[in-house]
Amino acid sequence: MLLKLAWRNIWRNKRRSLIVLISLVVGLTAIVLTDGLSNGMMRQMLFNQINLDISHIQIHKSGFNNNKIVKNFIPDYKNVEFVLQKNPGVEAYSKRVFATGILSSANNSSGVTIYGIVPSEEAKVSIIKSSIIDGKYLGSGKREIIIGKKLADKLGVEVGDKVVAMANSSKGDIASDAFKIIGIFQTSNSEYDKMTVYVQAATEQDMLGIGDNYHEFAVITKDYNKVASIQNNFEKSLGTGYEVYTYRDLLPMLIYQMDLYKESMMILNVIIGLALIFGIINTMLMSVFERIQEFGVLMAIGMKNNRLYLMIVFEAFILGVIGTLAGLVFGLLLDIPLAHSGINLSIFATGLESFGIGAVIYPVLSVGNIINAVLFMPIVAVLGALYPAYRAIKLEPIYAINYV
Amino acid sequence: MEIVKTENLVKIYQDNGVPVEALKMINLSVSKGEYVVIAGPSGSGKTTLLNLLGALDKPTKGKIYFEGEDITLKEKSDLAKIRLHKLGFIFQAYNLIPVLSAIENIEFSMMLLGIPEKERKEKALSLMDELGIKELADKRPNEMSGGQQQRVAVTRAIVNNPSLVLADEPTANLDSVTAGHLLDLMERMNAEKNITFIFSSHDRQVIDRAKRLIILKDGLIES
Repeated sequence: MLLKLAWRNIWRNKRRSLIVLISLVVGLTAIVLTDGLSNGMMRQMLFNQINLDISHIQIHKSGFNNNKIVKNFIPDYKNVEFVLQKNPGVEAYSKRVFATGILSSANNSSGVTIYGIVPSEEAKVSIIKSSIIDGKYLGSGKREIIIGKKLADKLGVEVGDKVVAMANSSKGDIASDAFKIIGIFQTSNSEYDKMTVYVQAATEQDMLGIGDNYHEFAVITKDYNKVASIQNNFEKSLGTGYEVYTYRDLLPMLIYQMDLYKESMMILNVIIGLALIFGIINTMLMSVFERIQEFGVLMAIGMKNNRLYLMIVFEAFILGVIGTLAGLVFGLLLDIPLAHSGINLSIFATGLESFGIGAVIYPVLSVGNIINAVLFMPIVAVLGALYPAYRAIKLEPIYAINYV
Repeated sequence: MEIVKTENLVKIYQDNGVPVEALKMINLSVSKGEYVVIAGPSGSGKTTLLNLLGALDKPTKGKIYFEGEDITLKEKSDLAKIRLHKLGFIFQAYNLIPVLSAIENIEFSMMLLGIPEKERKEKALSLMDELGIKELADKRPNEMSGGQQQRVAVTRAIVNNPSLVLADEPTANLDSVTAGHLLDLMERMNAEKNITFIFSSHDRQVIDRAKRLIILKDGLIES
């Protein structure tokens, strides 16, 4: 009956209750949308990095990550391959040769990272194959190279042109080779496109003089949430002499940035919540002051303070629940289509690409976000009602009954 | 059996910093089944006395005993409990809860007592039937006349079988015919159910029907 009374009290002043509801709905919709958008941006940043070159797990010779010199190749790559093939958590892997050097055209030259890959393996762990915008992906040709769009622009080259790659060999002298550009790729990370080229692993191995060895295994797992346990398994199976890193180890800045972003979203939500709390306090106070005499009557017929308090809090709670449901529906109605079509932010494309995000952001709402949003508004509404309810129970019955 | 008793009851209000002595040494005793009217001119202290007897206010000096128990210094929550279990109130302006129907208004105090819904509905309907207002069950206060609202208020006041019903100027907003019907009803409840009534009124009709009349003047019992 207390709930019934609270429900009916809400609709005494429909306009006022509707204004509160609208503020709650707008607040929750904004939270759902911004959460979805920020989540989507963060995931895109992370997945773009993972799918470009980081992958879920990388395995190197111990010390390689801090000292990426040509000689630091994996001593027994077949052993690593054996461990990877045995692990049921592994979806795919790619062996890579790694060198930093210079790529020169007839017009210009630029510092680059030269990845030597097995094309069929790399296609399973990265998006390079699907990022080709001109020409084709690496095939079996020995002197073929694919380069990023930004780099092609800088060097003034196009598909079919020749370039020369130079890098330090394992003996410490300068090794070089001429390549024909067979493809140009463009990813969502323009910095990456300016700095990276891909050639056949065998060609780079010859050029660097490292035999048939590799510097890196890039591994994609079946579930990226389980990378920590797979990392442990690898470390145990491989023993010393290897380093096994997850994307979290390899992208500390990005992980930090994501954590920071999450925290800033929480702060934003708290600000929205505070604004709503003050709105609710104002409305509930008005509602309490309008009913002082009625509270006096309720006290006179024996209603105890705790019930009176509860009744006022119920009113706000009901408003919070209705606001939550309506806000959630609105938020999801906006969010779900956008999650498919994405939000085109191409006017900010240059800035976004340098952060490794595409021009189109796809909002992602997690169950955690939805649960937070669902809990958020009723809590905010109840918090907003605490003070007005306190004011109500502090009334003396005799004062309240005679209040005009 | 003595229901309520006061000893040297004094109530002093502060009116803009000026003390106003509303009641001066009131000694009064009301027994079970009495039908008492406290009469007197405006400002004589009728409502103040009724509020003190109804545990809505606290005296400045003196003592109030309810069913033999001193309630003068009781806590707010204890007084609420006494009001819920032992007292019924009828107000001049009816004071029904506007968002509840007549039957819900009557049920409300039973709900506060923790009576299950089915039982309280049956009891409320049965009492409404007895008092001839069953057809008002689903009407909200704004759909009823003043007389009808006051009948519902009387039903609300007696539904928990209180020891004492306090009625503050219950006929003040009613025409004489309606007031007469309402007084008939309360007299019947007093006679049939032995409910104790204390009225405050300066309505001639109420005063004329008093079984015991207490005249207040300037905060003192005159007779």
